[in-house]
Amino acid sequence: MTALIRAELLKLRTRSATGLLLATLTLVTLTVATSVPKAGTARGPVSLHDPGVLAGVVGIGFAVPVVFVVLLGGLAFTQEFRYGTATATYLGEPRRSRILFAKWLSLALASTIISVATLVVSVPLGVTVITARGGEVSLAPQLWQTIGAGFVVMAAYAVIGVAVGALVRNQVVAVVGVLVWMLVVEQIVIPAYPVAGRWLPGGATDAWLQLGPVLDLDDRLLPAPLGGLLLLVYTAAAVALASKLTLRRDVL
Amino acid sequence: MTSGRDRGHASTTSRAPCAVELSDLTKWFGAVQAVDSVSAAALPGQVTALLGPNGAGKTTILRMLLGLAAPSSGTATFGGQRYDELTDPVRRVGAVLEASGWHPGRTARDHLRILATASQLPTDAPSQVLAATGLADAARRRVGEFSLGMRQRLGLAAAMLGDPDVLVLDEPTNGLDPPGMKWLREHLRRLADEGRTVLVSSHALGEVEQIADHVLVLAHGQLLRSAGLTELRAEAGVGSRVRTPQSDRLVDALEAAGHGCSAVDDDLVVDAAPEQVGELAARHGLVLHRLMPTIDLEHVFFRLIGESDQAPWSAPAERTPS
Repeated sequence: MTALIRAELLKLRTRSATGLLLATLTLVTLTVATSVPKAGTARGPVSLHDPGVLAGVVGIGFAVPVVFVVLLGGLAFTQEFRYGTATATYLGEPRRSRILFAKWLSLALASTIISVATLVVSVPLGVTVITARGGEVSLAPQLWQTIGAGFVVMAAYAVIGVAVGALVRNQVVAVVGVLVWMLVVEQIVIPAYPVAGRWLPGGATDAWLQLGPVLDLDDRLLPAPLGGLLLLVYTAAAVALASKLTLRRDVL
Repeated sequence: MTSGRDRGHASTTSRAPCAVELSDLTKWFGAVQAVDSVSAAALPGQVTALLGPNGAGKTTILRMLLGLAAPSSGTATFGGQRYDELTDPVRRVGAVLEASGWHPGRTARDHLRILATASQLPTDAPSQVLAATGLADAARRRVGEFSLGMRQRLGLAAAMLGDPDVLVLDEPTNGLDPPGMKWLREHLRRLADEGRTVLVSSHALGEVEQIADHVLVLAHGQLLRSAGLTELRAEAGVGSRVRTPQSDRLVDALEAAGHGCSAVDDDLVVDAAPEQVGELAARHGLVLHRLMPTIDLEHVFFRLIGESDQAPWSAPAERTPS
């Protein structure tokens, strides 16, 4: 299994898309880290003097690149089918469950690296911007909860991304589907219909990252622990479905 | 003909012989039967060709053999074991199933490194197979920049990574220029002479004649014939290839005289000697643009196909699952 994980990580490292995604992630993180405190002072619900303002910045720092982690996970499978390398992958290890687990573990590991990169950008930049604007930085328990949840959320989305790629296999459909779902459907449904939206994966994620105040959805999201549990249930369901279909399907 | 042709098992004995065996192999895709109870074998020391038109079921057979598609019934094994039962598959079997099995943005070396890493092969294995396939100078070039011939070589390099006992190649000659064909022919010959089992699929008769020792003729998913090339040639008899602007009338005349014929490209392949065809055409006042003896194997092949079906190059027909 170690050899398969090393091979999967090598695939990630030798794919030009990886660098592009990482660059995009950094840009998005920078944007979020600089914009949230500003919004908080001008019009948003979070004040610069709120003890949770830094946690909010860090939470947004996780919520945004989650999209790219899902795409990265999805590409792990769809690129195999797009370029025909799935054949060589399965010939090297005909027990497909091992390939699936290697992809899940390697992408979860990659998501951890991206999480660290996100924190390296969002925390110092958040502290700098909040302080520069006269705000107060507090290492409240909420900050540590958000960081812990963030790492798990990123890993969960990486696993879900791999499962989506394994299920859909068509790269264009997978990428467009993920983008439309996460950036359009959830962005509309969660704020407009929080009663239903909070049960979606995105709603569960927002709850777990305690983004209610930042998103102006306070009290309308699930409690953070329940949000976390729901996201893990979604992840487990994606794993189960992808395992079942991947082991059975012909590779033609 | 190469000097090593029709020699059967090779003299090299250090390699563990591993035969490929197909037993009542059958595959249905919905209502379409792609492979129909095929039983055959490919032996060590030989190049065996799966020969048939497009849609004959060649690739489906190879994918079932390699565990990529599940047979509806029957078995396909290497030395008695299914592919997914092999403990070290890459060291037992090397396969090239499609020329596009690479990421265009990766270098040839990285492509092979990934495969070698996953199968825990020595770190110098990629360099060795790149050198053996004449790609050492292109190791750090992106595969997307490769010519078709270079990609075919890279495919073979990937198949050779684990120095396997069996090689399975799907249409390996597609897109190769004459020097590439010569290289492949000599390479496969050498690999078979080393005691490996080499199984290739092809729809091109001329190429199979140059490469194979043993031929499995397929059409519509059915195995029509399994025979050595020498055996097929011995029974071939004499045939003709003829080109005429009045093909309908010539076909009628040939059939009336009891000769079978099949359309191939712009020509007719006829089950009769050129002298007979020429005289028949003259009697009917038909114009011939070209008349030549056929390659023996081509003659046998079309006779076999003709016995199987009147339209051998068409897609498989829908049948009712039994």
